[in-house]
Amino acid sequence: MGIMLGLFGAVLALILINVPIAVALGIVALTAMIVTHGWGVLPNLVIVTYNGATSFPLLAIPLFILAGAIMNASGISRRLIAFASSLFGWIRGGLAHVSIGASLFFAEISGSAVADVAALGSILIPGMKSKGYPAPMAAAVMSSAATLAVIIPPSIPMILYAVMAETSVVQLFVAGIVPGIVGGAGLMGMAYALARRYNLPREEAFSWRRVRSTGRDALWAFLLPIIILGGIFGGVVTATEGAALAVVAALLVGLVIYRELHLGDLRKAVLEGAIQTAVVMLLVATSALLGTYLTEVQAPQALAYAVSEFTQNKWVVLALLNCLFLLLGMFLHSAAAIILVVPVVMPLVRAAHIDPVHFGLIVTINLGIGQQTPPVASVLMVASAIAKESIWAVTRVNIWFIAVLVAVLLLVTYVPVTGLGLVDFFYR
Amino acid sequence: MQRFRDAYGHLLEWLVGALMVILFVEVTVGVVFRMTGHSLIWYDELASVLLAWLTFYGSALASVKRAHIGCPELVDKAPPRLRRALNIVAQLLVIGFFAILGVVGVQIMPVLTGDTLVSVPIPMNLVQSVIPVSALLIIIAEITHLVDLVTGAKPPSSTESGIALADGLH
Repeated sequence: MGIMLGLFGAVLALILINVPIAVALGIVALTAMIVTHGWGVLPNLVIVTYNGATSFPLLAIPLFILAGAIMNASGISRRLIAFASSLFGWIRGGLAHVSIGASLFFAEISGSAVADVAALGSILIPGMKSKGYPAPMAAAVMSSAATLAVIIPPSIPMILYAVMAETSVVQLFVAGIVPGIVGGAGLMGMAYALARRYNLPREEAFSWRRVRSTGRDALWAFLLPIIILGGIFGGVVTATEGAALAVVAALLVGLVIYRELHLGDLRKAVLEGAIQTAVVMLLVATSALLGTYLTEVQAPQALAYAVSEFTQNKWVVLALLNCLFLLLGMFLHSAAAIILVVPVVMPLVRAAHIDPVHFGLIVTINLGIGQQTPPVASVLMVASAIAKESIWAVTRVNIWFIAVLVAVLLLVTYVPVTGLGLVDFFYR
Repeated sequence: MQRFRDAYGHLLEWLVGALMVILFVEVTVGVVFRMTGHSLIWYDELASVLLAWLTFYGSALASVKRAHIGCPELVDKAPPRLRRALNIVAQLLVIGFFAILGVVGVQIMPVLTGDTLVSVPIPMNLVQSVIPVSALLIIIAEITHLVDLVTGAKPPSSTESGIALADGLH
């Protein structure tokens, strides 16, 4: 235990002086290995770092990011918003509900909450402000709704978790469906309550004709990802293969169906996807170094043992892990939190007989909340920047939506059937 | 320095963009062949290698754009002189780490001579060359930032666009 705390302390110290997290992990692992084994260990380290970046299942990440970026450049955000507007616009606080509804739809295309809030927020937040919504309210509802992107498949954090915990990404995807929809409904309920308090307007009245016409327009953007997810769930294709097909579908929608995708957009989408992949994969690669060392000194097992001395109760362990991840979420980016912490706590999770898919869902929702809680809160920052409000002003409203997300987290944690029901039904 | 960095970044963009496209095409071709009943034996091994290449060359581009995931919040709050000093230390640590990785990456080359990938006769030396080459590319990018820090040509710490890029994953 002492060794582990020392290592994490060293990593933390480096991160705090603004060494990139990936490099901090590498430096600490390298130093620890050289101290234990001498300089002869260096060649192995290079090979470990290289091998860390060659995981086939992780290939799904660049491809899903690319698919999302292309879809977004193809004019689908606008169409999904129009469709959501025809469905939810008539309720009091119409645009707030539209934001949540459009995020629900966008979530089945995108695996990233920041991509989600950037794509939809840049249209909806100014829209809400012009209709008299207080800016913090507009930013808060968009920010918390974007969390649905990581809960509803596909989800980049889920792919990372599945690889780190050596569990099924497909089952984890399926586990996210019901909690994602429940979360969306909960956020809408809260938005309604706030809409009454702020006396927010409705949009145009409900009409089936508008639902049909906007639905037809958004059909392809909507249908192709569902078909691909169906293929993944049915076992026709793996998650990685499905991700490649999602890129094909995105190109089809952008170039052939809507014809709004330009070469410049495509180039930008490719580069964005590549850079976002590289920064996370470098983290994966250098964490393999630290992982090798921790395994050698049996640190994760020591942690599992120490906690099991204290309690063996599955629900207490889950409560502890929830607190840990909520806390981490405030200070770490979600990819970093998963890569750093999941391999360390997995022996504990198994020892407490916690289903790894269940735990994966819990981690994902936790880190989704972490993107909303300052000081380090990527999604909140993007939403606040678009609304031109301070993150603290937005947080004062967002706290209500965060409460909804925490309620979903508790529901998923202590009523496991919420997430695992579909998984049990289809796969077990 | 900014002009050099822009040109350098542009060059890396071509390399990394090409890798991303090749990766996508390779996986797609692999899927199509598998679904039509003619699985390609080399498809997943080659795809994994491409992912590693994308990771390390992409990291070089991320270094140019300051997009690596980090935590500049605390250092940004420090007084200017301390901030500058800490940034320089951090920069030197990054350069040192990749220098070690690069040098050892070259040293292991003779050991790997003669080895190839399992499914295709591509020499391991070519595959693993990504480590020293990308380490060098990263060091060049980080040195340009270091020079800016030392000469005070640019405010230290990450640019907003870099952070936004790195955050895009969540």
